[in-house]
Amino acid sequence: MSAPLKLGRRSLGGIATAAMLAPGRTTLAADPSTYVSGWALPFNLDPHQVFDVPMQGVMLNAYDGLYRYQNDPPEIVPWLAESHTVSEDGLVWEFKLRSGVKFHDGSEMTAEDVVYSFRRVLALALAPAGAFLPILTQDRITAPSKMVVRFELKVPYAPFFSAIPIVSIVNPRVIQANEKNGDWAKSWLASNGAGSGAYKIIPTNYRPLELLDMEINPDHFLGWSHNPKPVKRIAYRPVKETSTRVLALLNGSIDCTDTNLPGDQVERINASKVAYVQKDVVMRIFIIRMNNTKPPFNNLNARKAFAHAFNYSGFINDILGGYATRDPYPMPDNLWGIPKDAKGYDYDLKKAKEYMAKAIAEGAPMKRPFEIHVQSDNDQALQSGQLFQSDLAQIGINLKVVGGVWGNMTANTKTPETTPDMWVHWVSTYFVDPENWVGQMYDSQFHGTWKASCYYKNAEVDGLLRKARSSLTQEVRAPLYEQAIRQIMADSPDIWVYNSMQLQGLNKRIKGRKFCTVGQGSEMRTVSLET
Amino acid sequence: MSLILRKLARDVPAVIGLTIVIVVLIIAVLGPLLAPYPEDIAASHLMRRLKPPSWAYPFGTDNLGRDILSRVIMGARGALMVAMTVVSIAMAIGVPLGLIAGYRGGWLSEVIMRVTDAVLAIPQLVLALALAQLLTPSLESAMLALSLTYWPFFTRIVFAETRRLTSSLFVDALRGIGAGTARIVFLHILPNAASPIIVRATIGLGFTILVAAVLGFLGMGATPPAPDWGLSIAESRTYLPAAWWYATFPGLAILLTVMGFNLLGDGLRDLVDPRLRRSR
Amino acid sequence: MLGFIARRCGLALPSLFGLLVVTFILVRVVPHDSAAAMAGDAATPEQIAKLTKEAGLDRPIVEQFVLYVGKVARFDFGESAFSRREVSLDIMERLPATLTLTFCALAISITIGIPLGVFAALRHNQWPDYVLRIVSVLGVAVAAFWFAIMLQLLFSMQLGWLPLRGELSATMSRPERVTGFLLFDSVITGRWDALRDALHHIVLPAFTLSLGGLASIVRFTRAGVLDTLQNDFVSYGRAMGYRRSRLVWRYVLRNSVTATITQIGLLFGGLIAGGVVVESIYDYPGICSYTVQAILTGDNQVMLAVTLMVGVVYAAVNILTDLVHGLVDPRLLDKP
Repeated sequence: MSAPLKLGRRSLGGIATAAMLAPGRTTLAADPSTYVSGWALPFNLDPHQVFDVPMQGVMLNAYDGLYRYQNDPPEIVPWLAESHTVSEDGLVWEFKLRSGVKFHDGSEMTAEDVVYSFRRVLALALAPAGAFLPILTQDRITAPSKMVVRFELKVPYAPFFSAIPIVSIVNPRVIQANEKNGDWAKSWLASNGAGSGAYKIIPTNYRPLELLDMEINPDHFLGWSHNPKPVKRIAYRPVKETSTRVLALLNGSIDCTDTNLPGDQVERINASKVAYVQKDVVMRIFIIRMNNTKPPFNNLNARKAFAHAFNYSGFINDILGGYATRDPYPMPDNLWGIPKDAKGYDYDLKKAKEYMAKAIAEGAPMKRPFEIHVQSDNDQALQSGQLFQSDLAQIGINLKVVGGVWGNMTANTKTPETTPDMWVHWVSTYFVDPENWVGQMYDSQFHGTWKASCYYKNAEVDGLLRKARSSLTQEVRAPLYEQAIRQIMADSPDIWVYNSMQLQGLNKRIKGRKFCTVGQGSEMRTVSLET
Repeated sequence: MSLILRKLARDVPAVIGLTIVIVVLIIAVLGPLLAPYPEDIAASHLMRRLKPPSWAYPFGTDNLGRDILSRVIMGARGALMVAMTVVSIAMAIGVPLGLIAGYRGGWLSEVIMRVTDAVLAIPQLVLALALAQLLTPSLESAMLALSLTYWPFFTRIVFAETRRLTSSLFVDALRGIGAGTARIVFLHILPNAASPIIVRATIGLGFTILVAAVLGFLGMGATPPAPDWGLSIAESRTYLPAAWWYATFPGLAILLTVMGFNLLGDGLRDLVDPRLRRSR
Repeated sequence: MLGFIARRCGLALPSLFGLLVVTFILVRVVPHDSAAAMAGDAATPEQIAKLTKEAGLDRPIVEQFVLYVGKVARFDFGESAFSRREVSLDIMERLPATLTLTFCALAISITIGIPLGVFAALRHNQWPDYVLRIVSVLGVAVAAFWFAIMLQLLFSMQLGWLPLRGELSATMSRPERVTGFLLFDSVITGRWDALRDALHHIVLPAFTLSLGGLASIVRFTRAGVLDTLQNDFVSYGRAMGYRRSRLVWRYVLRNSVTATITQIGLLFGGLIAGGVVVESIYDYPGICSYTVQAILTGDNQVMLAVTLMVGVVYAAVNILTDLVHGLVDPRLLDKP
């Protein structure tokens, strides 16, 4: 009866040989010129269609803007533009361009290209257009001379300049060649590059959400004298599972993780020989939205009951391991325009019960079942929901945690009816101005966008925010924002939790990383890899 | 009947399977009485999160400080409920369709079997995922999606059995003595098709628990704070491998339960399969 | 033979058409604003209306369906709402990875599963049979995700023998595209380094994926051999004094393996389901992870195309197994 065993042994032996073929540690990304990122990729590569945190990696490396945020705390510095002027009424902005900037195809950048880029953003009217649509139309962007671009705003808009770095300047010559029935080459640019940035996209290797390679652009307008040993190639290899991502960092097959590393993994990574956790304070607030149009959230006491029922310190200190700071304001506490004297809400179930009783007395339906929507692929969001759920259960409120995907969740917020009772999200720094937070979150003219999804409406606040938006100096604007925020906090339309510290796992061979809260450290120009 | 039971008792793996199934059933029924901390379904205790197994918490605690043993015990009820609901609905749809298609023949039979083939033409998980997402993810959608994708298996089996029996001599004889269609189908054909249906259902229970766990794992099934096994594994991903106990015990619960149903189902199949019966 | 293939393809077509109808109705009828999802975060209502019109979503559903079928016939599946790429292009790029992975997993399942199944049958109702049956059921029941992470911890982290994730090392350049199959392309272009690297990358995912199939094949083979052993020719052969092992491996196996082959087609569904988990944990860039991504984001064009594609592959595998079955047992080819 040896026959079956014989065959079994042979086939098992085959497998074992296959495994033996592998000599130790073949898989490390030990190549000193390739940087392997394990961070997520945007849905597509067109910086005029997608505007989110993963897109920053593409935008800041493959494209340039007129101005760019650099350093920590962020400063806005001239980039493709040398300088700018603004008329006294704040309506006419002129940008003088730097000469000798070349796109990746070798052609020179002119004012016409900048005009084309801004017009394309307006025409596509997708995510990055948000800040510009209310104040600009295509014909208000012109090129009075070869190196000057002029914007004539409809109304004065102070945050305009802060939002300038959002728009990547693209090369119209390659884009127009790939247009199909006037689509502004929307399909083509989604998997190709047309920029002038420090790195070039290699389109043949690209696979959406899986693979992106970029190679160095030796002719970048800033040159490479600041970095004698730059990274030659950036390989994006997004790792889907958090646990796998951490393992990949630890065995050296990726150089960086995402920036949402769970606090529980920090110690483990720091104990390793190859990697460490980089902590950076960012401007990114974590909020629980309430749909103020759905009863009982249209009742102030009901909203206050919820605001007192969230365990802020438990969440920040125990679940996040203290890697965040409590921020009771509807804006990052390290930005100007914060009324430091205003008092936030604290975790106090007794107060929550009192407010709940008042709300019930006023006829608010506090006993109905509630839903909180969270991104199902985000553990932190999920845990905040679960924590809230268990605390609310103690005061007799029944909360259901519903998982979702970011794209669908933002689509749900388009009308008050489809917006859930509550949902959880962050507001990152798209541009450094109070407009990015309170301005777009609590001015009722933004209802229908995810940032304003609490559907808060207060005429006084609307007035203050609009006045602040059209005033030009910080001295005038700061008190207006402070006053607006005091009122917003008194109305308690949302639950403001923290301002983030970002945690990113990095390989120890990375040198020269320069952090800026805009882009969250994804700019690679200054990075080199130690051997 | 007793002969079948005696034969089953001689089949060691089947007995193991039966034992597991009975134990899981008892745990599911008595869950809240057996769990040391039944309130840990929804409660959270941040001070004792991610504690390794100890006397107080034999399976350790999870990311919100909940006792994993209690949650694994409380999860049995949900898992069985899902599995039984799904299999019952699938049977309720699949068996009558199979009977009609098999007994009637003609264009109706053709249509039913084409639809069955169309549904079978795609892996169940893919279809269930798509359905669950379109119906907005929740446990109910997952159950509906699984039922709507599992019935064809029953239709196939019942169709084949009915076809075989319809053309058999004894049905002809019954017709000859003037028995009505309903009488033939329900009193004579269905009982004869019962054993393959039972085998399929037993294996289906295990299979459904596994697929439901995958759906929960992908965030398309049970929602927090349900002590769902698949969901627990999904939640534990972030804490691996440090908190090994978090994924291991719900994983073992799935493993044992599914194994129990499969071993029992296999044993039953060996018993009722006429070809294998001879070999005993 | 050709007639047989044509007949089987003809039979598969109505099923696939039915599948298309079912998924199309599901995707279109269930309330889900795909235009809004496409438009992105900052879209205005006018813009959503424009996209709805562009995508033809405002027309009657029957018209939409006819249009869609017309396009599918030309292998045009439209564009993904998110990546803006031709869905057919994405499928062509990703299908080969999944097929390779599935094939390798199947090969492992068969080479280990058949001998074990025969062994279990020969030791029917003795302890090796019991142990094998329990172990093979374990293979079906183990949560693939958990097992995958354990394999990663052991082979990638502890021993450092095999890579953790992906299809190819990030620093390894991809061989020139000829067939789209990474392994074949490496061989054709003579890129032995890439071949070696790709083979290393496929071991863990393929092994993880093979578990479910392995268990089933052990069970089918065991049942098949038990069945054949009852036949008269075995008793006759025994009476003629043939050695039992010779009898089993030469005659019984050939007769019982046919049953196993037909079952391989059925395994394919399980392999796709397993692929969902395996591809996502090992970041293997195949069609399964693509499907899940599309389903989670509600990318309708992709969902329609992928379900149809998986259906086509599924049907093809079934026809293929029938064909192999027919080659082993030619009488079957003549049956209608």
